[in-house]
Amino acid sequence: MQELDSVVASAPQKIAATTGLEELEELEAELVGRRSVLASIQRDIGALPPAERPAAGQAIQSAKSTLTDLLSTRRAILEREAADTLLVADRADVTLERLTLARGALHLIQQTMDEVCEIFIGLGYNVAEGPEAETGWYNFDALNTPLTHPARAESDTMYLHYEVADDESLLRTQTSPMQVRWMESHEPPVHVVVPGKVFRTDTIDASHLPVFHQIEGLAVDTDIRFSDLKGTLLHFAQAFFGPSTTVRFRPHFFPFTEPSAELDVACFVCDGGEAGCRVCRGAGWLEMLGCGMVDPNVLEAVGYDSTTLSGFAFGMGVERLAMVRHDIHNIRHFIENDIRFLSQFPS
Amino acid sequence: MKISLNWLLEFVDLPTTDPQALEDALWSLGHEVEGVTRLEADWRGVTIAEVLTVSAHPDADKVRLCTVTTGGEPIEVVCGAWNFEQGAMVAFAEPGAVLAGGFEIGSREIRGVMSHGMICSEKELGLGDDHTGILVLEPEAPVGSDFAEWVALPDVVFDLSITPNRPDAMSVLGIARDLAAFYDLELRLPAADVRGVGGTARVGVKIEDPTGCFRFATREMTGVRIGRSPFWMRHRLRVSGMRPISTAVDVTNYVMLELGHPLHAFDVDRIMGDALTVRRAQPGETLITLDDIERSLTADDLVICDDAGPTSLAGTMGGAASEVHDSSTNILLEAASWDPPTVMWMSRRHGLRSEASARFERGVDRELPTLALARAAFLLQEIGGGDVLEDGSDVVAVPFERRVIPLQVAEVERILGPGFSNERVATLLTSIGLSVNGADPLVVTVPGYRPDIERPIDLIEEVARLHGYDSFDVTVPTGRGGGWSETQRLTRRVRQTLVGLGLSQATHLSFIGTEDLDALGFDTHHAARRVVMVKNPLREEEAILRTTLLPGLLASARYNLSHGAEAIALFETGKVFFDRPDPSDPRIPDQPDRVAFVIVGSLGGGELDSPGRPTDVHTATAVWRTLGQALELPFELKAASPPGLHPGRAAEVVVDGNPVGLVGELHPSAASHYELPGRVAVGELDLAPLVTPRPPHPLATPSTFPPTEFDLAFACSLDLPAGELVVATSKAAGALVESARVFDEYTGLGGDQKSLAIRFVLRAPDRTLTNEEVAPVRQAMVAAAAGLGAELRGGS
Repeated sequence: MQELDSVVASAPQKIAATTGLEELEELEAELVGRRSVLASIQRDIGALPPAERPAAGQAIQSAKSTLTDLLSTRRAILEREAADTLLVADRADVTLERLTLARGALHLIQQTMDEVCEIFIGLGYNVAEGPEAETGWYNFDALNTPLTHPARAESDTMYLHYEVADDESLLRTQTSPMQVRWMESHEPPVHVVVPGKVFRTDTIDASHLPVFHQIEGLAVDTDIRFSDLKGTLLHFAQAFFGPSTTVRFRPHFFPFTEPSAELDVACFVCDGGEAGCRVCRGAGWLEMLGCGMVDPNVLEAVGYDSTTLSGFAFGMGVERLAMVRHDIHNIRHFIENDIRFLSQFPS
Repeated sequence: MKISLNWLLEFVDLPTTDPQALEDALWSLGHEVEGVTRLEADWRGVTIAEVLTVSAHPDADKVRLCTVTTGGEPIEVVCGAWNFEQGAMVAFAEPGAVLAGGFEIGSREIRGVMSHGMICSEKELGLGDDHTGILVLEPEAPVGSDFAEWVALPDVVFDLSITPNRPDAMSVLGIARDLAAFYDLELRLPAADVRGVGGTARVGVKIEDPTGCFRFATREMTGVRIGRSPFWMRHRLRVSGMRPISTAVDVTNYVMLELGHPLHAFDVDRIMGDALTVRRAQPGETLITLDDIERSLTADDLVICDDAGPTSLAGTMGGAASEVHDSSTNILLEAASWDPPTVMWMSRRHGLRSEASARFERGVDRELPTLALARAAFLLQEIGGGDVLEDGSDVVAVPFERRVIPLQVAEVERILGPGFSNERVATLLTSIGLSVNGADPLVVTVPGYRPDIERPIDLIEEVARLHGYDSFDVTVPTGRGGGWSETQRLTRRVRQTLVGLGLSQATHLSFIGTEDLDALGFDTHHAARRVVMVKNPLREEEAILRTTLLPGLLASARYNLSHGAEAIALFETGKVFFDRPDPSDPRIPDQPDRVAFVIVGSLGGGELDSPGRPTDVHTATAVWRTLGQALELPFELKAASPPGLHPGRAAEVVVDGNPVGLVGELHPSAASHYELPGRVAVGELDLAPLVTPRPPHPLATPSTFPPTEFDLAFACSLDLPAGELVVATSKAAGALVESARVFDEYTGLGGDQKSLAIRFVLRAPDRTLTNEEVAPVRQAMVAAAAGLGAELRGGS
C-alpha cells in the first residue's frame, strides 16, 4: 500500500510535466494501464486477508479516480494547446487588402440638398421639385419681376426654341417658379422647400457655373410674420453650420419679396474678422441666402388673398453651402465628377 | 458707388467718424459695403506756400530758382517745373518732410545752388498721376496751413453696392439722408443760392415725346472760363471713382454724385438753331457720342436734337458736336426727367452704360432738376465765373404728383408682428423725409426721390428697415406635417442602391451638342433628335438640351481616365428634354427624369490577384437587376439593338410589359468617339415608372419544409436566350419553384447548339414534396423546354 501512496504522491508532478498528448498517453498507461503499479496491486488484492480487502479496494479506487481526474484535466489543456497551435499556423495577414468591396458616393450637391431638405422636413415642410424648362410667366411675371428687370436679359437668362402661346420659353433662373406652381395646386397653409437645378448665362470660372443648384423655401399662412422668417432661418443656419452659429439679417431687394433680406452667417473659421481668413477674407460674415416676406403681388398672382394671408420665402445656393462648409474654392469640382473628388464625400 | 465720409459730413453731423461703426450702420440700412478705404496723407511735413519770386538758374536752363514762403522767411528752392509763376500757391515739402514712398526731403545742392525743400506735383504726393508740372493750388489756399488738412485728409471711402430699388441712394445726399434717419439727425442741403442776371436765354426747349421725356429744364451761363477744375473738386471726383475732365463736365459729375441727378452741359454756341427738341430718332439718323463712336439710331431711341439733328442720346450720353471745350464760354446746363425703361433699352441697345444711364434707368427724382441746376450753376460760377441767366427753361410734359398712400398700422403689425404704434410708424417714415398725416390709416406722402415706394407694403418695408432687422424677435412656425413623398423616397432608394453597388453620383450641365447625338448613332427620326435648342447658348457645342444622360457620363468617364483612374462607375439622375408638350403642362417642353450609368474597367471591388471582373454587358444587366430587386420591380430584358449600343450586346428593359429603357455595352464606335477603351457598360431608364408609389405587399412566409433540388441540362439553339428558357421551365413548374438559376453555359456542342444547365429549387409552403409529386412537374418543365426547341441532355 505504501507503493500506492508513492504512486499517487508523485503523479501530479509527472502529469504536469507532460508536453504532448502522446507523452500523456504513455504516462496514463504507466499510471493506470494494465501494466501499471496500480493494476498489479489490484491483481494482488486477492492475496490479502478477506477483512483487509474492502479497505484496500477502496484505496485503489480512490487512487485511480485521483489519477484519472488529473490526467483528464491535463488532457484538456494539452488538447486546447494543440488546437491553438493549429490555428496559429492558420494565421492570415489582416493588414493585407485581399478583397475589396464596392461603395460609391452620392454627389456632394445631392447630399447637401438632402440635408437641407431634411432640416425643413423636421419643421413639417414638404419637398417639391419642378420643371427646369419654364415659361416667362412662372419664372418672372408671377414673381413680380418687371419687364425691364436686368435678369430677363439674354446675358442672364437662357431662352429656348419652344413655342408657347403669349409667353416665352426659358430655363429657370431660380427655383422660385415652383413656389408659384405649388401655390397654384395647393390650398394654404403652405410649407414647402424646392431643391433643384437652375440656369444662368454665366461663363464657367472658379465661382460661376451656367447650371447650378438652389433650394427655395416658402411658408404661407394666415399669421406668418417677419419674426417667423428670422426664426426659421436662424434654426436652419444653426442646424446646418452648428448650434453656436450667429447670423445677421440685413435689408436687401428682390422683386418677389418685401421686406427683403440677406442672411449672413458669422464666419465659423475665424469667428469674425480675421484679416487673412481664407473663408470670409476678413469680412467676418458669409453671405448665405436671400429671403423676405412674400410680396402681395405674388400671392395675388396665384389667387391667394394677400389681405388675409402672408408668408416668407428664401432661396439659397447649394454649391455655396457646400463650398463654405468644405473649404472648396473652385466650383468646377462639382461638374468634373472626378472620382477622387466624389469619393471624398462618402454617403 | 464710392461715398466719401468728408463729403457726407457736409450733409449731416454724424455722431461718429469711426469707419466700423458707420459700416455697421450702412449694412443695417441695407447698403452693402463692398469695401472701406481709409485715405491717409502719404506724406509728412507738406505745407501750403506762396511763390514769391521765380528766376533763372545761373548754371542750368532746365530748372528755375524760386523763393517761397510758408508765412515766415523766404526759402530758396530749385524747381524743374514751368507751369507756375510768381504768386502761385503750391504744396511745399520743407527739409525734413517725407513724401510718398518714404522719400525724405532735405537741403541739397543743385548745380551750385542750395535748394531747401521741394515744390510737389500731384504724383509725388500720391494724389493723382499728373507729373507734367507741380500742383498749383487755388489762390484762396491759406499760406502756412498743413496741406493734408486742406485737401481733407484723412478721409474714408465706402464702396457701396446699391440695390436697384434705391436710385436715391446713388448719391451722397441719399446716403446722408439714410444715415441722418439712422442717427436721428437733421439733414442739410448744399449751397445753391445762385444769383441770376437779366437777359434772354438763347436756347428754348420742345418736348415732342412725352412718353420718353417728362420734364426738361435748362439754365444758361455766359462768360464762363472753362479749364482745369480746382484741386478740391478734382480730388473729390477721383476719390469717388470719376476722372476729372474739365470745369463744366466736372461740375455736372460732381452734382450727379452729390445729389443723384445726372446733368449735361452743352456749348450754347455749338447748338444749331434756337431750341433743343426731344423726340424719337428717325431710322437712318446717326449720332457721334462723346466717346467718338458713331451710333446708328432706331425709332426707339430718344434723342435731344438741335436744327442739325440729334445732338445727344437722352439720359445716356452726350454728343460730340455740342460738347463743351476749353474755348467755350456760353454754357447750357440741362437736367431732364426721362422714362426709365426708355433709357434702359437704349443703353442696352447701344451697349452704353454710363453713370447717367445707370441712374435714369432706375428712376431719378423728378422734383430734383431745379435744385440740381441751381447747384451746378452755383459751383460753375464759383469756379469759372460768368453770369447765370435768370431766364431758363423748365418744360413739364408730364407733371409729377407725389404719391399718397394710406397705411393701416394693423397691416404693419400683420406683416411685421406686434409692437408698432401709430407714433412709432410715423416717426420712422418721417425720418427719411416722407410726410405723414392722419391717424389710422396714416396718410403718407412720398417725395420724388423714392420712386420705389408705391404701395403700403413698400412703406412696411421702410418701417422694418428703419426699425432695424436686428430689433425683431425670432419665432419658428412649423408646417402641418410634411416629409418626403413616396416618389421621392423611391428616388432616393434608386440612388442609394447604385451607391451600394459601387457607383458614384455625377452631375452635369444639361447641354449636349449635335456631335453627341451623331456619336450615339441616332437617326433623324429618333426621339433623341426631337431636341429643344437654346436660343442664346454659351457655346455652340452646348446649344441643345440633352435628350439622353449618356453624353455627360461618357465625358466624365473620359475625364477620369485621363486623370489616371482605371475603374470608373458613375451614375446620374436628372432631366432630359424633348420638343413636345409636357404631359402635365403643355406650356413647357416634356422633361422626364432619367437614371443612367456608365462603367469602365470593372465595377467596385476585386481580389488581390484579380482587380475585378472586366466590365461587359453582364455588368450592365446586373446593375439593373439589382436595382429592380431594390424597387421590387421585375426587370425583364429583351435582346435589342438600339442606337449607340453594341448590336449583339444590348437589351431593352421592360417593366409590366412597358419598355422603360436600355442596357448593354456601348457601341465600339461610340466608345471610340468618347475615347473609352474596352467594353463600356451603360444603361439608361426612365425614372417615373420605377418610382411610382405602389401598395405594400403582404409577407410570403418562408416555408419550414425541406426543398427539392435538381439540375436539368438542355441542348438548344445558340440563339435561344437563357432567360426565355428559365422563364418557360419555371412557369411550367408553377408556384412550387423557389428559384431557377443557370449555372453552366457550354457553347462547344458543335453545330449551332449550346448547352444550358439550370438548377431548380422547388418547395411547398405546407408539406414536404414527394418524388411522386415532383416527377410530373419535372416532365412538364422538360416539355416546356422542348416547346422552345431545347432538348433534355441530362439531369439529376
